[in-house]
Amino acid sequence: MSEPDDPFGFAPDENAPIPYRERIRDYYQGLGYGAPYRWAHYADVPFAPMRKKLSESRIALITTAAPHKAEAGDQGPGAPYNGAAKFFDVFSGDTSVDHDLGISHIAYDRVHTSAADSNCWFPLPQLRRLAAAGVIGEVAPRFHGTPTNRSHRVTLAKDCPELLRRVREDKADAVVLLAV
Amino acid sequence: MSLAARHLEANGIPTVVMGCAKDLVEHVGVPRFLFSDFPLGNPAGRPHDPASQTFTLELALRLLETAPVPRTTVQNSLRWSDDAVWKRDYSNIAQLPPEEIARRRAEFDSVKDAAKATRAKEQAAE
Repeated sequence: MSEPDDPFGFAPDENAPIPYRERIRDYYQGLGYGAPYRWAHYADVPFAPMRKKLSESRIALITTAAPHKAEAGDQGPGAPYNGAAKFFDVFSGDTSVDHDLGISHIAYDRVHTSAADSNCWFPLPQLRRLAAAGVIGEVAPRFHGTPTNRSHRVTLAKDCPELLRRVREDKADAVVLLAV
Repeated sequence: MSLAARHLEANGIPTVVMGCAKDLVEHVGVPRFLFSDFPLGNPAGRPHDPASQTFTLELALRLLETAPVPRTTVQNSLRWSDDAVWKRDYSNIAQLPPEEIARRRAEFDSVKDAAKATRAKEQAAE
């Protein structure tokens, strides 16, 4: 709780980042589901340094947002959590044109944000502006969309290699991934 | 998404993850992470605030060049609001009355069923 008279000027404890693992575990157990989801976790993390300057690099975007599906019902701003809007295969799109991508298939914070501005999860227009301004070399010819799959096996065996294949095909030098 | 970043990186392609769930991304372990302490759904800046979106994306891009080691997290200096009251609400079971818990259980079951039906239809079409 907020304590405005804190003598040290400390922020309230709840100012710390939300502990989502605990929050989500307690939530689904509270709803009556069984064994908690096991999040992926690694001791080691790979690292590939940039080989070129950012201003000379071709940058690709990968997002978990979904293309609009005519048959899947409400996918617009504030739409309820929409299972029919989910997708199950990596897809790609031409970055020289605009795209209608939504996040109604994701459990984003529907109380405090309404998904009204796709720039918040698919910053292709900004990336194009930064290319025009010379901050990056260029935008890769395609962006890629990846499913938010609960199965680690499917993600690791199918989606990750497919993303790598496409990013290589496009000769991207580095990748920005949007985790919604 | 974190698994994809790791896979690309392990194959020689530098990556940066933009996200709002600090503990989830860091638990997996990614090379570079731009964390925005915003409600889930806003990894690339505040809605209808192009200046915040450009600032946030530029931060992520700078991280590509400047991260000295894997597991480098940079926290976006922008704040969602002056207080942190919004953080109480997301999937907070302690705040829900029993009838709301029952409603959400039914809703989640129907989302899962819809996703399953969609997947079956897509597989049949392939």
